Amino acid sequence: MIKNKHIRILAIAPLSRGLGYALMEGPDKLVASGNKSILRDKNTKALAWANRFIQFYQPDVLVLPNVTAADTRRAARIKTLHRKIIAWAGKKQVKVRLVSVTQVRTQLLGAAKGTKFAVSQMLAEKFPAELGTRLPPKRRPWMSEDPRMDIFDAVGLAVAFWPKDK
Amino acid sequence: MKSLPNYLQSQRKRLSLSQEEAGFLLGIGGMGKGEKVCRDESFAREPSLQDALAYEAIYGVPVRELFAGLYQQAEQKVAARAKILNFRKRRKLDARKQATIIQLAAKASANPSKE
Repeated sequence: MIKNKHIRILAIAPLSRGLGYALMEGPDKLVASGNKSILRDKNTKALAWANRFIQFYQPDVLVLPNVTAADTRRAARIKTLHRKIIAWAGKKQVKVRLVSVTQVRTQLLGAAKGTKFAVSQMLAEKFPAELGTRLPPKRRPWMSEDPRMDIFDAVGLAVAFWPKDK
Repeated sequence: MKSLPNYLQSQRKRLSLSQEEAGFLLGIGGMGKGEKVCRDESFAREPSLQDALAYEAIYGVPVRELFAGLYQQAEQKVAARAKILNFRKRRKLDARKQATIIQLAAKASANPSKE
């Protein structure tokens, strides 16, 4: 568990449409967040973007989702991309921490079960100025997932990285 | 932790402003309003004092917080120079001056420069 709260962390969530990213400088300071949609040659472009983010923001720790955890299902392409990002971070001497979906839910919802929308709502309430306007409407069964959810996936990882205040 | 050179992008996004709108508020004329703001935000350019103050007025955040990295750098350099000045001026005692120099030099030992 991290004890030093004066570090900069970059969370990257590689997803099917591209990737979401979030930069935090403490448990309550969200500096930047966003998503990058990638259409073709996804792994090469996503890796280039991840590299660009690491060089631009110079994080102390890179936070990634734990794609090998028992509670996580990810496509083979994303698992490959995940491995490549970890290898790249190793070359750049950036520490990598893996956070599972269960950890995100436990940290934000206080329970291991919950929906992505509930997590997003919690995050929008926690950072109203940064994320309040970016919360998509609740997804209905006939709808595709909104691209803005990538942002909330990344911010969720970043928030779950910090120890919970008692 | 070393701060980022500036936090212009996060402050602009907090207010939901586009780069073009921020450029317009800064008083940049012509077609490249957004480009200039983009260069400021991506640390490719250091804005002038007038632009820095305009950013403070737009975002409502002090310049030293907006340009935290630059401020940290400047503070460390001043502290290092104050250390030298403290060493030079040790014999001439002017209490107020001495106190200022010692206070500034103390910042150098608190945040040791990596230069």
